[in-house]
Amino acid sequence: MLTLSGITKRYGGLLALDGVSIEFAPGEIHAVIGENGAGKSTLMNVIGGFIAPDSGTGSLGEGTPLPFGDPRRTRKLGVEMVHQHFVLVPEFSVAENLALSAIESLSGALDLDTATSKHRTLAARLGWTLDFKARTGSLPVGTQQRVELLKSLAAGGTVIVLDEPTAVLSDEEVTELFRVMGELRDEGRAVVLVAHKLREVLAVADRITVLRNGRVVGSTLADGTTEHELQTWMAGEALSPMASSRTNAGEICLEVRGLRVYGDRGEEAIRGIDLAVRYGEVIGIGGVDGNGQVELAEAIVGIRSSRSASLRRPEKIGYIPQDRQADALALTMSVKENFLIGSTAGPLLMPNAVNNGATLLIDKFNIKAQNINASVGSLSGGNQQKIVVSRAMERQPSLLVAVNPTRGLDFQSTKFVHTAIAEAAQGGMAVLLISTDRDEIRHLATSVHRIEGGRI
Amino acid sequence: MTRFVPAIILILLLSLWAFGVNPITGCEIIARGAFGGEVGLSRTLVAMTPLLLTGLGMVIAWRAGMYNIGGEGQYIIGGLMGASVAKLHFGGPGVILLSTGLGGAFYGALAGWLQVKRGVHAAISTILLNFIALQILAWAVTGPLQAPGTTASQTATLEPDQMLARWSNRTDLHSGVLLAILLSFAVWVLLSYTSFGFHLRLTGENPRAARAAMLNADRIRVQAIALSGGLCGLAGGVQFLGTSGVIDVGFNQQWGFLGIPVALLGGLNALGALASSFLFGALMAGTQSLSRSVLGGDLLIFVIQGAAVLAFLAMRRREQANA
Repeated sequence: MLTLSGITKRYGGLLALDGVSIEFAPGEIHAVIGENGAGKSTLMNVIGGFIAPDSGTGSLGEGTPLPFGDPRRTRKLGVEMVHQHFVLVPEFSVAENLALSAIESLSGALDLDTATSKHRTLAARLGWTLDFKARTGSLPVGTQQRVELLKSLAAGGTVIVLDEPTAVLSDEEVTELFRVMGELRDEGRAVVLVAHKLREVLAVADRITVLRNGRVVGSTLADGTTEHELQTWMAGEALSPMASSRTNAGEICLEVRGLRVYGDRGEEAIRGIDLAVRYGEVIGIGGVDGNGQVELAEAIVGIRSSRSASLRRPEKIGYIPQDRQADALALTMSVKENFLIGSTAGPLLMPNAVNNGATLLIDKFNIKAQNINASVGSLSGGNQQKIVVSRAMERQPSLLVAVNPTRGLDFQSTKFVHTAIAEAAQGGMAVLLISTDRDEIRHLATSVHRIEGGRI
Repeated sequence: MTRFVPAIILILLLSLWAFGVNPITGCEIIARGAFGGEVGLSRTLVAMTPLLLTGLGMVIAWRAGMYNIGGEGQYIIGGLMGASVAKLHFGGPGVILLSTGLGGAFYGALAGWLQVKRGVHAAISTILLNFIALQILAWAVTGPLQAPGTTASQTATLEPDQMLARWSNRTDLHSGVLLAILLSFAVWVLLSYTSFGFHLRLTGENPRAARAAMLNADRIRVQAIALSGGLCGLAGGVQFLGTSGVIDVGFNQQWGFLGIPVALLGGLNALGALASSFLFGALMAGTQSLSRSVLGGDLLIFVIQGAAVLAFLAMRRREQANA
């Protein structure tokens, strides 16, 4: 049993956690849900020992105090974290990454086979086929997450914390993950799940706790609650189905024939795609991750070289990359500077204009930041994504290319992004929406393609 | 920066003690050497100038993620370019100074080109280019640029009208000092208030985000290290035209390397570099006086500088870990 009581954490003027008390029981999948900025990630980092709270206590098992602020000792006590953003060395092989996590038990010459024998057994038991020699960075995200999971499981933790594990997974991979989580619970571990998709939470969790603005607003067994009730707890309002974005499509905005694009490793990622997007239309491209989505988007935006029989695209293209932290933001730079990325302002940056522009945008899009000079890295994932989306929209491009624009976002932020895209299309913008989230595509797209092996 | 001043003073006192000097008397000598009257102060400012210029060069390159370790080579090539133009009697100090900047910029751009086109990391290529520059220097001052009619390994002394203007003949203060200070404000404006400076910093912070924003990160990198080299070349020019008037095999004097600690201590910020170069300029001027009474006193500056940079990096590391 992992017990936290009265946990409070303050960042400057922002109260991230406000007297949170919560219990995680063995043999139970306990989901912690809430909007972006509700304090979920902070709470998980407190549990994992990465952040020391300002006040409050925690204990494990028969009253062993949790060593706040000491991740190493926390891990030794059997609390394992699977982070939202993977902590893997991309240049290492899978086996090397696994050995790295068990580094404290290693000494002398490194025999990767011995060091990872436990992981191999576990992988086999879970029915996973993993190439232990593959370079980790070259694997699809779903597979990378399995590596993360193996690290935690092999350490034999009694408490497994999964921070937004489904954010990057396709539907099939989510189903598989839930199967594994069920097994962990049946083994008698306490499984903590941080999530935001209510349907998923209801499908897998035994108990659900809702955070809002750093406080626990409710806790319930999953049986006997409804999506509607949880939503009300999370936001104080329920999601109304979005108005259909179908409109009369206009002229052709983007047209490409026979598009071929090479990936980073020289492989042919896109093998001959014909595609047309008209103004006012949302073309959805679905499919499982790693089928050329990113390459397609980059080629159309014009940052990856490509060959095609013919290509017609507008001058002003807005781009929402899939990985906001790697491709869209400079985390160490301020909020106001991140708004400037991709702007075509003149040679001089006038401080007043920059400040006013940023203030306007954080008000307009309700972005939660201490102020416009705060570093973007200090913002929650949803607020980071709001910056990326609002930045792209504000410039009113003729064509918007978005890749998984709501990945890792909570309900409110997802709604924000969806509304923004739908409204832009109604206003005549051409939108190419590439997403692995079926619901998202069904929800927004006026017509849908499926990408597989670099072909549509 | 302000928080490091007490630390540096402590390091200074400890170093004096380690050198066997009474710390109080030592400090007094240093302070008089650095700030004693217009002579002391001008000595500080003159020592500050090349430090500031190479420091600014490092700020620009490092902020763009180009780890320029080649200030030394760019400084030398700048100086030699200036000596060549001076030999042609082509123009006054302005023209010569411009050529030193261009020489350094070319040498910096070379390293940039090697990185973006050939995949040679700038930190490696600039170190190697330093060695090449040293060889070129030794060859030039005994060959094409050697003062005619002598056997000394040095260039001809500049004509008085080729030197930078001085305010008074009692001090060494030359107009290059003012130029360096003005340039530190120019670099500050460039990095903080222009789109180019913003793109440069973005490229340094996250090149992938720069690419996704349709910027040509490679071109920005080359431009940054060319600018950086230009400032280092200019440092060579200012030293040549303002102070030495002649270039010999010992021309470089480590000014290019010292720019790195100046930039780091200034938090990779142009105005921070102005402050830290003043501090180190003062220490240099002061320890010059000290060397008259203490054996090895002029080496003290390197001890202090090294210790200060290590302390600074350690403290910053801890701050980052705590954040």
